[in-house]
Amino acid sequence: MAGLEGKTKHEKIKALEEMIQIVLLRIPKEVEAMHFYTKAAEKSTTKDAKNLFLSLAQQEKGHEAELRRILNDLIVQLNEVKNS
Amino acid sequence: MKRDEVKNFNGEDGKPAYIIYDGKVYDVTDSRLWKNGKHMGRHKAGEDLTAFISMAPHTDKVLEKVKYVCDIEEENVKDNKKEKIRELYRKYHPHPILIHYPMGILYFGAFMEFLYLIFKIQSFETSAFYALIIGGLSVFPAVLSGFLSWYINYDKILTEIFRNKIVFSSILIALVVAAISVRIFFINGEECYLWCYIYVLLYFLMIPVMTFIAYNGGRITWPD
Repeated sequence: MAGLEGKTKHEKIKALEEMIQIVLLRIPKEVEAMHFYTKAAEKSTTKDAKNLFLSLAQQEKGHEAELRRILNDLIVQLNEVKNS
Repeated sequence: MKRDEVKNFNGEDGKPAYIIYDGKVYDVTDSRLWKNGKHMGRHKAGEDLTAFISMAPHTDKVLEKVKYVCDIEEENVKDNKKEKIRELYRKYHPHPILIHYPMGILYFGAFMEFLYLIFKIQSFETSAFYALIIGGLSVFPAVLSGFLSWYINYDKILTEIFRNKIVFSSILIALVVAAISVRIFFINGEECYLWCYIYVLLYFLMIPVMTFIAYNGGRITWPD
């Protein structure tokens, strides 16, 4: 748990809860961005634009998945600290 | 194979390491890039890695080098239902619509009450009372839609912002119910003394409480 070393239990919990909030609030933004690019791809009038928007949508999907992975790891860390 | 069954093949304790990609199950046990069910220390075996491919430094061509196991049997009815609710929410966004009714009407009502205290014109007080009834009733759908948003967008994970919103929305409901009760049951005519002060206090307390709820809503929409 790099970044948490030297902190008290209370400080660790606070830091992890803040991080969970940061990541959690970002997830719907990525989902919205993905939907925006998907809709833009559907409305595209050229093949290049369509491919570009589909690629961007795919990247946003990747960001969402990565944030969910980080969120799950943080929740596990938080529970470990609380139970320690 | 079902998704839950794939989770058992997590590569730990000598178990095979399976991953899901695009509805198909692959065996990555013998891949040198997978160790003890982990890939690059981040991705775990037993999980669906489809969405991660856009973040990877390789394409899905790498899967041609590992063994295909079978297709996934989809059965996730609950998640599909949640996704349908999420689609409806995205289309109609009820919470941003509904939160502005109680806020606008109750701010207006408090202003009417303020004018009544200064000018002693009864119609201002009556306006404030009607605004309290309408604004107070509109708090309930706003709060319910907030819970819906929390459920579908944030998986009901309780953080400081959501805790603030829940606690202060509960306080707002208590203030609304108390103010309406005092106004209806204890204030008849102009000779009301203590109950009038309590009513005004309850009404004006709604302003900072609503403002704090709105501030936390703003922190969700525009995170730090």
